[in-house]
Amino acid sequence: MNASARGTNPATLFQRVSQHGLLWPVLALVVLLLACGLKSPGFLDVATRDGNLYGQLIDLLRNSATPLLLALGMCLVIATGGIDLSVGAVMAISLAVSLTHLASVPDPSAPGAVATAVVLGLVLGVVIGAFNGFMVTALGIQPFIATMILMVAGRGIAMLITKGQITTVTSPPFKSIGSGFVLGVPVPVVIAGAVFVLVALAVRRTALGMFLEAVGTNREASRLAGVGARSTTWVVYVLAGLLAALAGIVYGAPTMAADANNIGLLKELDAIMVVVLGGTRLDGGRFHLGGLVVGALLLSTLERAVIVFELPSQTTPLFKALVLIAVCVAASPALRSRWRSRPPRTRRPVATEVAA
Amino acid sequence: MSTGLSPQAPSGAPPRPSTRRVRALVDRVDRRFLPVVGTLVTLVVMLGVGQQRYSTARSDFLSMRLLSNLLLDNSYLLVLAVGMTFVVLAGGIDLSVGAVVALVGLVTAKLFTAGAPLPVVLVLGVLIGTCCGLLIGVMVQVFDIQPFIASLAVMFLARGLANVVSTNSLKIDDDGFSALASWSLKFGEGRETWRINASMLIAVGVLLLAVYVLHYTRFGRTVYGLGAGDRGAAVELMGLRPARTRIGVYVISGTCAGLAGILFALYTKSGFNLTGIGMELDAIAAVVIGGTLLSGGVGFVLGTGAGVLVYGLIQVLIAREDLDSWWTRVFIGAVLLAFVVLQKVIAGRRR
Repeated sequence: MNASARGTNPATLFQRVSQHGLLWPVLALVVLLLACGLKSPGFLDVATRDGNLYGQLIDLLRNSATPLLLALGMCLVIATGGIDLSVGAVMAISLAVSLTHLASVPDPSAPGAVATAVVLGLVLGVVIGAFNGFMVTALGIQPFIATMILMVAGRGIAMLITKGQITTVTSPPFKSIGSGFVLGVPVPVVIAGAVFVLVALAVRRTALGMFLEAVGTNREASRLAGVGARSTTWVVYVLAGLLAALAGIVYGAPTMAADANNIGLLKELDAIMVVVLGGTRLDGGRFHLGGLVVGALLLSTLERAVIVFELPSQTTPLFKALVLIAVCVAASPALRSRWRSRPPRTRRPVATEVAA
Repeated sequence: MSTGLSPQAPSGAPPRPSTRRVRALVDRVDRRFLPVVGTLVTLVVMLGVGQQRYSTARSDFLSMRLLSNLLLDNSYLLVLAVGMTFVVLAGGIDLSVGAVVALVGLVTAKLFTAGAPLPVVLVLGVLIGTCCGLLIGVMVQVFDIQPFIASLAVMFLARGLANVVSTNSLKIDDDGFSALASWSLKFGEGRETWRINASMLIAVGVLLLAVYVLHYTRFGRTVYGLGAGDRGAAVELMGLRPARTRIGVYVISGTCAGLAGILFALYTKSGFNLTGIGMELDAIAAVVIGGTLLSGGVGFVLGTGAGVLVYGLIQVLIAREDLDSWWTRVFIGAVLLAFVVLQKVIAGRRR
C-alpha cells in the first residue's frame, strides 16, 4: 500500500476494500450464511443446552476445525514455495496408529493410554513431516513429488497398521477430543483456535514468518542473506505433518473408527482450497493466516448449505468448484487490472503486489 | 529446474578435442536419455524377476501374453498419462483427469440408456473431456490461475457433475458398444494366446501420435519451450505462440481424459461416479517414473509408455506374490521414491 491509499475518505476506503484479497471470500461467506438463514429460519440461532453451545453455527465452527488445522500447516508450506500433498494420508496414518494403540491396551479409557495414543499419532506426524522435509531440503526434490510419494503410499501404510481392517475402539476420553466441550465450546474449536493463535504468534511475533516469506520469494537470495533456508523448510514440513496428525485425531475421534481408505481422503485438496480461498497464492513468498479462517468457514458453510438447500450431498464438489472458480477469477490479476483501469486514473498506480 | 536444456559449462582444464567431443556426446546422451534408461532398466529388472519367479515348465512369464494383458488392463492409463505428459512438459499439472474419466463413463452410460447412437455417444464422451481441458486452459492462460488450482476446480466440477448424473453404477448394455468392447484379434495357441483389442489399438495409436506431435512439430517444440521455466518468454521471443500452446496442452490432456473415459467404460462396461479417485496420481506417477521432470521441459512421451508398463507390472507382481492389494500403493510409492532420487542423482552429476 502506498501512502495515498491510506486516507480516510470514502473513495479511498472503498478502493482499499475493493482491492483487498479477502473481499470475495468474505462476501461469498456472508451471502451463503444469509441464504441459509433465509432458507431455514433457525439456522443463525445459537442456544445453550447444559451450559454447552449448540446450533448450526456452532456445528459450522466445529466442522471448520479440521480444514483449518490442515490449512495452517499447508499455508506455511506454501509460503516457502512448496506444497504438501501428504496431509490426507497423514490423517489416516495418525488415526490408525492412535486407535491401534488404544485397541491393544487393556483399558482404553485410562487417561494415560489416551495420552500415549495421541502422542504416538502426533509423533508419527512429525516423523512423516521430517521425511518430507528431508526429501525437499536435503535431496532437493520438488515438493509436489516429494509429498506425493507419501500421498500414494500413505494409505497403504495406514492399511498395514490396521492390518486392512477398520479398527474400532470405545474410549470416552479419546472420543471427547472430537465431540466434547470445554467451557461450552466444542473441543475441536478450542484446539483449532489455540493452534491458530500459537502459529500466528510464532510466525508474526518471531522472525520465522519473515524467514518463510524470504525463502518462498527467493531461496538462494535468502540463503545468501543468512536465512537458514534448509532448517526453515524442515520446520514447516514437520509442522504440517504434526498439524495433519492432530487433524486426523480430531476428525476421527467422534467415530473412533480408523478407516484407512477413507479418513482424510482428498482432504489435502480441501486444505489447499482453503489456503487459496484465504487469499494466499500458490507461488509462495507471502501468506495470510487470517484468510485461512475465512476459507475454512467458507468451505464448511458451503458443505452445510448444500444440505440446508436440500440438494443431494454428492453435489457438494460441484459447488466447491463454482466457488473456487468464481473467487479465483474475481481475484485474478487479469480482471483486477481491467477494473482498476475503468475509473479515470487520477491516483498513483497501486503496486501490483496488492494482488497477492 | 531446467538443467536438461541448459548449455553445459566445460569443467576443469579443456581436454584434447577428440576426447572432448566424445565426452560431449556422452554428456548429451546422458542428459536426455538417462532417466528413460533408468525406466527401461527397471522394466527389464522387473521382467527378469518375474521370469525367474513365475515361469513354469509349461509357460514363460515373459511372453506376448503378458505384454498384451498389460496393455489391455492399462490402456486407459496409457492414454491419460500421454495427455498428462504434454501438460507436465509444458510446466503445468492436470488434476482433473480422474474425475473426467468418471464423468465421461457416466454420461456415456446415460446417453446409451436414452437411446443415442454409438458414434454420437463416443464423440460426445471425448468432447466432454475436451471441454474440461479447455476450461482449465482458459483459466490458466487468460485468468492467470495456477494450473494446480484451475485443474483442482475442474476436478471438483467434473466429480460434482458425475454425482449429479448418477450415484449408482450404470450398466452399459448397448449392442454396438459391447461388440466394440469384445472385438479382438487372437494370436497364438493354448496358453500362449494373446490378443489385440480396440482399446490397445487406440492407446498405442495415441502414444504414437503424441510422439509425432511432441518431437516433429512446431507445437511440440513450443511445449518443451514452455516448460523451460521462464513463463514462456523465450518461446515468445522465438516467434512461437505460447498462449495458444498453453491452452492447447490442457485441451490435449482433457481430450485424452475423455478418450480414457471411453476406454475405461469399454473395460468395465459400466459407468460409476467413484471411479478414477486418485487416477490422476497414477497418471502423474507413470509420467514421473517415465523420466519426465515434473518441473517441465525434460522428458519423452515414450518414457511415459514405459512408465505405464512399470506401473502395470508392479500390480502383476503383487498379484503373483499373493500380497494384499494395499501393498500395491506402498510399492508404487517406493518405486516413485527410487525414481525421484535416481533423477536427482543424475541431475546432480550433470552439474
